[in-house]
Amino acid sequence: MRVKGLIFVVIIAALAVGASLFVTDELVEEQIEKQLSIANGALVEIDDLAFNPTNLHLSWSRLQVTNPGNTMQNTFETGEAEFDVQFWPLLWEKVIVDDLKLNGFALQTERETDGYFEMPEDEEREEQKSNEPGFFADVTSSVSSTIAENANMQFTDVKDDINIDSLMAMVNLQSLDKMDSLKTGLETTYSEWDSTITNNSIITNTNDIKELVNGLKLEEIDDVPKALAAIETIKKVTAEADSLKNEVIHIKDNFQADLNASRNGLASIDGWIRDDINSAANVAKLPEINAQSIGTALFGESLLADLNTYLGYIATAREYGARLLPEKEDEEKIERYEGRNYEFTDKYDLPGLWIKSIDLSGVTNNDIALAGLVTNVSNDQAKTGEPTRFNLGGEDENAVSLTMDGELNYLGEEKFERVKVTYEGFSLAKSKISPSELLPYELSRGTGELSFALDVIDRRIDSEVSYLASDIEFDFASAGRPRNTVESLIRNAISSTDRIDASALIDNTQGPLRVRVRSNVDDLFLNTLKSTVQAEVDAAKKQIEDEVQSRINEKRVEVESFVDEQEQRLRAEYDRFEAIINDELQIVQKKYDELEAKKKELEESLKKDALDAVRKRIGF
Amino acid sequence: MLIILKYVARLLKALSSEAKPWQIALGFVFGMIIGLTPLFSFHNLAILLLIIVIKVNVGIVIFSFLIFSGIAYLADPAFHNFGTWLLEKESYQSLWINMYNNEWWAMTRFYNTVVIGSFLSAIILSVPAFPLVIIFVNQYRKHIHERVQKWKLVKALKGTKLYSVYQTVSRVRG
Repeated sequence: MRVKGLIFVVIIAALAVGASLFVTDELVEEQIEKQLSIANGALVEIDDLAFNPTNLHLSWSRLQVTNPGNTMQNTFETGEAEFDVQFWPLLWEKVIVDDLKLNGFALQTERETDGYFEMPEDEEREEQKSNEPGFFADVTSSVSSTIAENANMQFTDVKDDINIDSLMAMVNLQSLDKMDSLKTGLETTYSEWDSTITNNSIITNTNDIKELVNGLKLEEIDDVPKALAAIETIKKVTAEADSLKNEVIHIKDNFQADLNASRNGLASIDGWIRDDINSAANVAKLPEINAQSIGTALFGESLLADLNTYLGYIATAREYGARLLPEKEDEEKIERYEGRNYEFTDKYDLPGLWIKSIDLSGVTNNDIALAGLVTNVSNDQAKTGEPTRFNLGGEDENAVSLTMDGELNYLGEEKFERVKVTYEGFSLAKSKISPSELLPYELSRGTGELSFALDVIDRRIDSEVSYLASDIEFDFASAGRPRNTVESLIRNAISSTDRIDASALIDNTQGPLRVRVRSNVDDLFLNTLKSTVQAEVDAAKKQIEDEVQSRINEKRVEVESFVDEQEQRLRAEYDRFEAIINDELQIVQKKYDELEAKKKELEESLKKDALDAVRKRIGF
Repeated sequence: MLIILKYVARLLKALSSEAKPWQIALGFVFGMIIGLTPLFSFHNLAILLLIIVIKVNVGIVIFSFLIFSGIAYLADPAFHNFGTWLLEKESYQSLWINMYNNEWWAMTRFYNTVVIGSFLSAIILSVPAFPLVIIFVNQYRKHIHERVQKWKLVKALKGTKLYSVYQTVSRVRG
């Protein structure tokens, strides 16, 4: 026994334990901050991290996760937190936490310092090929444009005497450019057809056939073998002629398809002009007076803005999910000295990170004390077999409550998120129920309820944002006297309303994204506006339509007559071309029939001569 | 070249030292296991502790480790194949599963083809290697040592400055 060696081992072990007690906290904090910042794409800061290596207990006093899109804001932050990390999985580089307690959780808090994080060069990885952020960006952009479109409308101040010249100066009539582009495209197509009709070998081949057929002189065929040889020749010629005919039919089909496409192009002109008229009407702030546009103008802005906020959260969740996914290993390639690991059971088949339960509490921006559970946060749900679920709720001292529950499920082929949020009991006194000029009145009393339900399955969205204002009373007095008849009529119409129920439905489950906003007061506004401003709106629209048509008409006529003229010319060319082929085919067929008749005639004559010879020989 | 000479000198010194033949043989076997198997393995940590605690010849451990590291590089595919055969063998499945489900055994990474293949190969080789080395040391000391000392190479080696430095260091170390 080497006693000195034993003492050496003991001293080394003691030094290691001692050093770990002093060094680990800073070391662990630095490493965790670095790795989380890399995953987040912006700074993640942990204050007062304490790590006890003997029982793997971790705690901190504050955690800030910077928003990569705005480094002066935190995506979220937490106050005090503590949890235990499981020991054995750590040896397989898996961080498994059973229960994490997070206090002081808050979303979107301001930062005192810039949270920009410079990514280490060796850590900069290729962008994940994930189309989710792009998809969500498309949806939010589409919803935003619906909001902007309707926010622009002026329902109550419509003028029927529009200064059409100054309006048209602001409108870029895109149909003119589109028609030019259509004409250029058609010119190319027609020129290609010109070239096809004039520069093909069909006419040459037809002439060859013609020469061949003309070379077969019936009067020179005076015996059966000559007739048979001529028939063989004419059969070959017929086959060639048939092949030419098929070629012509093929060309004709393509030609017809191109002409149809030209006609379809012309059919689009109406749509382009309609778009230009709508665009001009939009610049003139002329509203569409129907229930949908009124609903959207009244409540679209606030409801759809909420939807965009939540869609942003879902997009963030998917983006983080994609970033945290483990890199796929190449199982086939076995590195030298690495070997292959056999996984006999799924005991260590754990995700790299798995927080089984987060006991969360905090205060929202609206001072609602929020608490609840978030379960199964992991970087690989396939390994946990569990989706991430959350269920949070709370209320403030005035009994205004907020509940949020949902599921982020990435277990199946299609990613699935479900979020449901209800915010209710908030006072509407001294607030406006809508940002629209149709409802510019504050409420003297009322209680609000906002609920939001969103289901996203891969790239299909089905969502509803509902808003209920009950026990409301409009404060018309502080708004002053009505400015015009429309306002006066609107006040009369809504004065008896004590409840407003609005909802926005956004989905793309049956095709393109649909945004529908309706409320129980749409019809009140619709009737009022129809009886007042509808006539002015129609007159103004007619004026715009006439002007747009007059500016575009010349170009439209030019394009249409160009198409008609070219089509007519090409059709005539084609007909001539087809007639030549058909004539030749007829000649060939005629020659064939003549040869057949000649052959028959010769055969008959031969038969007769033979019979006569036999008769003569036998003396019959 | 100097390094090679240094290790030849170390080997010769170890063979002729006062160390018992079993200490040299055990050092050789330990070095062989460390050399043949992946270095950062749990069993190598245990062997390292044994080397520190048991009075084996460290020079021989290092010499053996260097030699067998080179052999391991060449034999790696064979270890992988042997390991694959072992881990896939039907009759051993319950053993592997039990070991895999026990965290302590799992730490040895015996579920890896190269680790189990090389480790068992090293253990199997140890069985004849240990007595053979003992026999070799005894025979060397009895018959060869004197003659080796007379080799020109050894004399030249002893005459170098490096050797005198090495001797001094060895004396200081004890």
